[in-house]
Amino acid sequence: MNRSKIFRIITYVLGPLAVISIVRLWTDQDALTSSNTVGTALRLTVPILLAGMAGLWAERCGVLNIGIEGMMILGTWFGAWGAWQFGPWVGLLFAVLGGMLGGFIHAIATVRFNIDQIISGVVINLLAFFGVRYLSDLVFVGQPGGGVSQSPPQTSAIPRFDLPILSGGQIGGWKSPDVLAWFETRKWFILGDIGGIGRGLTSNLSWATVIAVAIVPISAWVLWRTRIGLRLRASGESPVAAESLGVMVNRLRYGGLLVSGGLAGLAGGTLSIVASSYYRQGQTAGRGFIGLATMIFGNWRPSGVLGGAMLFGYAEGIKLVASDSIAALFLFIAAVSLIFFVVAIIRRLRVRSLFALGIFILSTIAYQTVSTVPESLTQSLPYVVTLIVLATANQRLRPPAMAGVPFRPGEPH
Amino acid sequence: MQLGDTKPNQDLLTSDAVVVELTNISKVFPGVVANRDVSLKVGRATIHALVGENGAGKSTLMKILYGLHQPDSGTIAINGVARQFKSPSEAIDAGIGMVHQHFMLADNLTVLENIILGLEPTKFGVLSLSDARARVRELATSIGVALDLDVPISELGVGQRQRVEILKVLFRGAEILILDEPTAVLVPQEVDELFVNLRRLVSKGTTILFISHKLDEVLTISDRITVIRQGSTVATVSPNTVDRLKLAEMMVGSDLPKPGERTTKIGATTRLAVRGLSVLEKGRKNPVRNVSFQIAEGEIVGIAGVEGNGQFELCGALLGLLSSEGTVEVGGKDVSNLSIRERLNAGLAYIPFDRHREGLMLTAPLWENALLGHEATLSRGPMIDFTAAKKACREIISRFGVLTQNELVPAFVLSGGNQQKLVVGRNLATARTVLIAAHPTRGIDVGAQAAIWEEIRRSRDSGMSVLLVSADLEEVLGLSDKILVMFDGEITAELDPKSASPQILGKYMTGAR
Ligand SMILES: Nc1ncnc2c1ncn2[C@@H]1O[C@H](COP(=O)(O)OP(=O)(O)OP(=O)(O)O)[C@@H](O)[C@H]1O
Ligand SMILES: [Mg+2]
Repeated sequence: MNRSKIFRIITYVLGPLAVISIVRLWTDQDALTSSNTVGTALRLTVPILLAGMAGLWAERCGVLNIGIEGMMILGTWFGAWGAWQFGPWVGLLFAVLGGMLGGFIHAIATVRFNIDQIISGVVINLLAFFGVRYLSDLVFVGQPGGGVSQSPPQTSAIPRFDLPILSGGQIGGWKSPDVLAWFETRKWFILGDIGGIGRGLTSNLSWATVIAVAIVPISAWVLWRTRIGLRLRASGESPVAAESLGVMVNRLRYGGLLVSGGLAGLAGGTLSIVASSYYRQGQTAGRGFIGLATMIFGNWRPSGVLGGAMLFGYAEGIKLVASDSIAALFLFIAAVSLIFFVVAIIRRLRVRSLFALGIFILSTIAYQTVSTVPESLTQSLPYVVTLIVLATANQRLRPPAMAGVPFRPGEPH
Repeated sequence: MQLGDTKPNQDLLTSDAVVVELTNISKVFPGVVANRDVSLKVGRATIHALVGENGAGKSTLMKILYGLHQPDSGTIAINGVARQFKSPSEAIDAGIGMVHQHFMLADNLTVLENIILGLEPTKFGVLSLSDARARVRELATSIGVALDLDVPISELGVGQRQRVEILKVLFRGAEILILDEPTAVLVPQEVDELFVNLRRLVSKGTTILFISHKLDEVLTISDRITVIRQGSTVATVSPNTVDRLKLAEMMVGSDLPKPGERTTKIGATTRLAVRGLSVLEKGRKNPVRNVSFQIAEGEIVGIAGVEGNGQFELCGALLGLLSSEGTVEVGGKDVSNLSIRERLNAGLAYIPFDRHREGLMLTAPLWENALLGHEATLSRGPMIDFTAAKKACREIISRFGVLTQNELVPAFVLSGGNQQKLVVGRNLATARTVLIAAHPTRGIDVGAQAAIWEEIRRSRDSGMSVLLVSADLEEVLGLSDKILVMFDGEITAELDPKSASPQILGKYMTGAR
């Protein structure tokens, strides 16, 4: 590892950690980095992350997927049904298959029949919403606890575990020490935060979460390191060039959309099987669209999508478990934007410095008044955070060049 | 049709030296005969040039050889074996590679990814990138090309993109290389480099089919030249038996129009004044730095330079597409802070660099393309006046000799040069005070080139000021009243075209003084 890399790690990991630690100690809001908050954030991150990856797979092969929300709905329903009938693992499988059904319909419509990709996506969302309602009417109504908008509760769940040594998991019969918890309870500067965050990420973990997170590096590997991945990306960047080299663009688009649908379905499945134990109408609550936002935020890259999803998950998590800490979070944002402001001034970036200053002022005001502002405003926190990050993001966005453009093979160019 | 003193010497080729043999190829598109009974023999390890007017059918013939189009009749034989190519991949398997008139590259993928796409070296489906890199590097050095393989295509200039296209084809093991107008976008130095590379390839046994409108180039590089007119072969000649004029005559079937000398005077009033113009770009050296010049009424100022030295950004800044510092005055009015639309209304017009990216809606009919930028004049209230729009399009078609059936066909069916004529025709018509013309005759045949030059001269004589950006030195020298050389974002020299020669210009353009 060279020096600039070490320097970067320090600024991007330890820097924010130090700031949040100071804010935590100053405001006495331990919930900011408690294992409870972080654990909740992780659980909330998973469906958004999967939805974002679904969007990434679709757009990388050249098709916009507005229908992720609908495919997630299919995932929640089929997942819940499968889990109710055959147990949670089969349930997740059914969730994937349900989402793939949506992906397949999208592929037929857009690739085969060249229907506008946005329209097809919107139709899939509507179709899924009313379709599962109809299915519930057929299957769930009359069952104990079931109805048109709800499935009967599942009896078993995906197993959870603690990581040994770090978070006191079992090795054989031996209960290992809980190192991170020890640090967390000490509440020291930075070390206390590392303990809380680490423990949140490593204790009471569902295997489904592990799978979801593993999909990020796997996707990156497939898309950037394998033949099929390169061809898939080429289909999204320049289908004409790809075709002229013998790449079967439309076949790859079918494949990409099946993966996209499957991931969206899995996202739905985690909602109805892991985060809860039954299907409920409206369970997806717009997370498909938030997933698309994380895809843009993540610059169409898996690691970026992970970052965006974590941001949403954290903002939502803190709102859920520790709404008192929201004020402290605004203080954190104020501190970070102040740093941005100073950096921008030094680098003479006028627009960005003004922007950072504006955010600093707004978040300071929010910090002062947040206890009195209505609930609905604090609810919008995750979106505010995304907007801020999108606007200040340093990198140039590079979406796949031909995503959204229909492609008819064999047409002269 | 046979021309008296240029008898086809195909008989010189002994049969085992013939690599490609096309016999009686015909291809009809709805309403257009693109190829009519074309026959062609190409000798092994030679450079064989195809020349002909825009729309003569050169690209179509090559696309048939490459499997992109199927011929209606006729046969293809490669190395003496009859073949039928249903798709490019079959042609690739037979050792044929094609570099298209319009580049086919994925901008966001890296050089390496573009080159190996479709034929990736893999182990169990996993890319062997180091292996691929080594092979591409070896290939590149063997033809004397230096390229960074890990940057995205979007960061390369046209010359480099061209090299990527050639490497892409060679990587597929092509022994027969089709280059459709490879030099249209290159400046003289780059052309020379390309030719060195091509010669090296030929010495290794590669056969090259080469399309170009630049007849001097054709005469220097090729071993044999086939002239195509209106879809049929006119003759195949050897370059030392013909000269430029002769070739042009064979292509057009008549004498070339001769440009008249300038008879009008340059006006006294300044129409375009640019002072201290800089284009700012973050994280990079500013692409245009402190550029100042003036163009008087009825004057043509040429900007010569190797592509990528800031000409593109300069035009963007003049039009307001890019943000810049400094002042721009059109017709005495400061437009520095005006929007693009307001600048156009102030009398600016633009013939864009890249007809596909900036000039045309490829899938829209010609008349809609011709309407762009004229919406205000060709409408009745908020509604478009269809009849007037179509009539305006027909006028462009006849005035600029765009070869097409009618104004209703989509733009992509036009040959490259005819697309260019449509764009030039449309934008020349809007010009009132100042015309910014970027490569106005790129990809246009000699006949039509002379016609477009004539149109530009006529506009100039009627008082229009023209900023001519071109890599074609003949064009710059022939049209301009004053030449500015742009190098690395700055104007480095001001030359008088009467005393400048292509050699002198070339020196200035590469930064050597
Ligand atoms: N896909 C198509 N559909 C209909 N007509 C076409 C199509 N492709 C080409 N043509 C027509 O065939 C004729 C020959 O076109 P081609 O592209 O081969 O010309 P070219 O010799 O390459 O000209 P240029 O020098 O301008 O590139 C033109 O009249 C063109 O309009
Ligand atoms: Mg052509």
